[in-house]
Amino acid sequence: MVKINKTKFQDASAKYLFILCACMSIVAVFGIIGYILYDSLPALREIGVFKFLFGSVWKFSSDTYGILPMLVSTVVVTLMAVLLGGVVGVFTAIFMVFWCPDKLRVRYSGGNAFLKKFVAWLNRFNLRAVFDQVIKLLAGIPSVIYGYFGLQIVVRAMAQIDPNYRGFGALSTCIVLAIMIVPTITSLTKNALEAVPEHYYEGALAVGNSKAQAVFNIVLPAARSGIISALILGIGRAVGETMAVQMVSGGTANFPTGLFVSIRTLTTNIVAEMGEVVSGSLHESALIATGLVLLVLVLLINFSINLVPKEFKGKRGVKVLHGDASAEIVYTRKGVIPEILKYFTMVCAALVVISLAAVILFILINGIPHISWNFLFGGDDYQGNSLLPAFISTGYMILFTLIIALPLGIGAAVFFVEYAKPGSKAVKVLRTFTDTLAGVPSIVFGLFGYLLFTKLVGRSIFAGAFTMVLVVLPTIIRSTEESLLAVPMAWREASYGLGAGKIRTIFRVVLPAAFPGIATATVLAIGRIISESAALIYTSGMLSVDSSSVSMALNPMNSGSTLTVFMYSFFAEGLAFEEAYATAVVLLVITALLNLIVRSIEKRVRKKG
Amino acid sequence: MKLARNKKREETPVAPAKAEQNKNDLEIFDFSGEVAVSVRDVDLYYGDFQALKKINMNVPKRRITAMIGPSGCGKSTLLKTLNRMNDLVEGCRVEGTIEIGGRNIYDKATDLAALRKNVGMVFQKPNPFPMSVYDNIAYAPRTFGIRQKGKLDAIVERSLRQAAMWDELKDRLNKSALGLSGGQQQRLCIARALSVQPQVLLMDEPTSALDPISTGKIEELCSELKEQVTIVIVTHNMQQAARISDKTGFFLLGELVEFGDTDDIFTSPKHPETERYITGRFG
Repeated sequence: MVKINKTKFQDASAKYLFILCACMSIVAVFGIIGYILYDSLPALREIGVFKFLFGSVWKFSSDTYGILPMLVSTVVVTLMAVLLGGVVGVFTAIFMVFWCPDKLRVRYSGGNAFLKKFVAWLNRFNLRAVFDQVIKLLAGIPSVIYGYFGLQIVVRAMAQIDPNYRGFGALSTCIVLAIMIVPTITSLTKNALEAVPEHYYEGALAVGNSKAQAVFNIVLPAARSGIISALILGIGRAVGETMAVQMVSGGTANFPTGLFVSIRTLTTNIVAEMGEVVSGSLHESALIATGLVLLVLVLLINFSINLVPKEFKGKRGVKVLHGDASAEIVYTRKGVIPEILKYFTMVCAALVVISLAAVILFILINGIPHISWNFLFGGDDYQGNSLLPAFISTGYMILFTLIIALPLGIGAAVFFVEYAKPGSKAVKVLRTFTDTLAGVPSIVFGLFGYLLFTKLVGRSIFAGAFTMVLVVLPTIIRSTEESLLAVPMAWREASYGLGAGKIRTIFRVVLPAAFPGIATATVLAIGRIISESAALIYTSGMLSVDSSSVSMALNPMNSGSTLTVFMYSFFAEGLAFEEAYATAVVLLVITALLNLIVRSIEKRVRKKG
Repeated sequence: MKLARNKKREETPVAPAKAEQNKNDLEIFDFSGEVAVSVRDVDLYYGDFQALKKINMNVPKRRITAMIGPSGCGKSTLLKTLNRMNDLVEGCRVEGTIEIGGRNIYDKATDLAALRKNVGMVFQKPNPFPMSVYDNIAYAPRTFGIRQKGKLDAIVERSLRQAAMWDELKDRLNKSALGLSGGQQQRLCIARALSVQPQVLLMDEPTSALDPISTGKIEELCSELKEQVTIVIVTHNMQQAARISDKTGFFLLGELVEFGDTDDIFTSPKHPETERYITGRFG
């Protein structure tokens, strides 16, 4: 009797613990909005909301703060980037789903034994899967790396057509952003296309459509809502992008009146001036207010996804036919446009492959020659620059972030799947807040961490890790949730049938079965932590390249640069680009390894299923 | 109502004949003979597995031909070879000849658009497009180059009347086709197939996902449609085959065991397997 009561007590207290975890998202969202709003108030009050939003001069030497140029630049650059990256991304996805051959068919009839083997090896690959993996890899590459690519390749190429031979500005920013959002848009569009029921496609073929007609007239419109969501997420990502834009935009708060006008976006306004700000000044408050505007903008964009109608609801009004029964009806072959579009998908896919290959080759060619043992692991006695402190800081960052984020995220996911009634109001609210958190740009997280955590624990690895918890929490919740949902209901019932309580069932049956999914979530979170830089610069800090040392990095109460921040500081200080490239190689290798791990986990799960 | 519909049909111009005068390259089939589809020595393989073995059958024009047999016997497979939907299946290989309207459709030069325009198909599961009722039917004509509103309106009305749906749907043309009931969706799919005036209509278990009332409507519709098109129907339901078809083929393990007049097959089958199947002893 006593035992039963104890179990009941455990079950009840566990439930509240899980609810608490799930509520973290609400706390975080309100915390972020509240803190940023509160600290924006001095600026908004002193300058006036209207003057702040529509003032066209931003000059901190004269305490004049108007963000209209930044606002306009953000909108213009984002729209252009999404137009470019959206078209390329959507068409690449169409190519991948419908026209990408499964295998390469390279023929080689020469006598060279090595080449023969090489060709046989090439032909063995599943092209579609390789393409898929590369797109995923590119989605995970840190934005600092895209920034360097933009700086060295895009800006230089643009300088050729820039009358002033500089190349920085609106156009370069657009191109870099477009390249950055293509992987996201491609993989989301691909999911949307694959979710279109096969029988639409078959139905179109059966009335005499060519493949291209069926794809462009039926399947593509049927995937419309998914594609629009993908584009909106792309917009959100482009608006929130910070580091890469900072490196190629030129950085002056101008209106985007020309392709090569130096511009500044909302995000880069924060990152450019936050470092030199006087605490408590109007300047600081104005920068935080910029963050508020950015946050509101992104939240509006992400909420608009909910407005996309999920399925065709019919047109308005009543259609009255005016048939001309005597008209001669001659069916002819039409549909040149879909055939042209088919070739356009190939062009887009080729464009993607080329630009992606360019990014990767650019890093490898520039970076590999500068990798040495001492550069990677040289201790404090080594005279040159070494990555060892950055490795240590990154390791700490991952460790501390996950220690907090994993229990919270898993607990929240357990609440969503095991306790919450699906479709209930509470769940909807919690879900909305989790999604909201997922859409917050990382520079806003950085701002929040700067306002709260650095005040609590100083500018340190800890402050950075607390910030990163908020960044990775939505990812962990979502992927854990999916893996929990995949655990068959019957297993839970079997456990209950044997007399186990809910809590025992969760810990002994459900969570172990969901382990691969949780592992995937963890790896994804690690990837996110490694690639993050905007959220860390003002929380865990950015050390100057020379001053980073192993002894300092070993204490997590000190500030420290993670790998991406370290890489960015090469740019910020304008030195030793070779070593920045070498760092990029290391980051690329880590990203690829993490991708491989995710893939092998997924493969193992699929084999079991 | 029925009268009005028949009257309407007479007014409808016969497009293929006129089209031929225009040397339309979509109207490459000649359906003047009595045999609409002629299957000769057809073997079909999925990879190494032989799904059809030496099939021979002649489908008469403007009749309903039913194909029956237990699951996996190859009847649906054969149906899908008639408009070459099997091309979608990887590793599918067809040997032998299938002549439709006097042409071997497995000839390399066969134009699939022309073939499928003339050989329409209705699937097991209703598959209207996620569009309005009107657009569902106007879709195929549009892709075959008809743009004028008057012509499209005429086609939509004619097709809906042919599918006996005009009165039900004439006020709902702008509504989503996905909002119709399952039976209505299936008849809409028949109307959609009729929109390009096919000569042959293939039906792959068109009523297996429907309730008895909708099934009855579709059977009635088939009997009316056979005045204009040749229908080949695959069915699991032997009563259905007996009720509506003129010819019946019985398939077993990839072979056409028996093919003949429906009355003969159901009253005096020649093969013991046919008899066992239609009397419900296996399948």
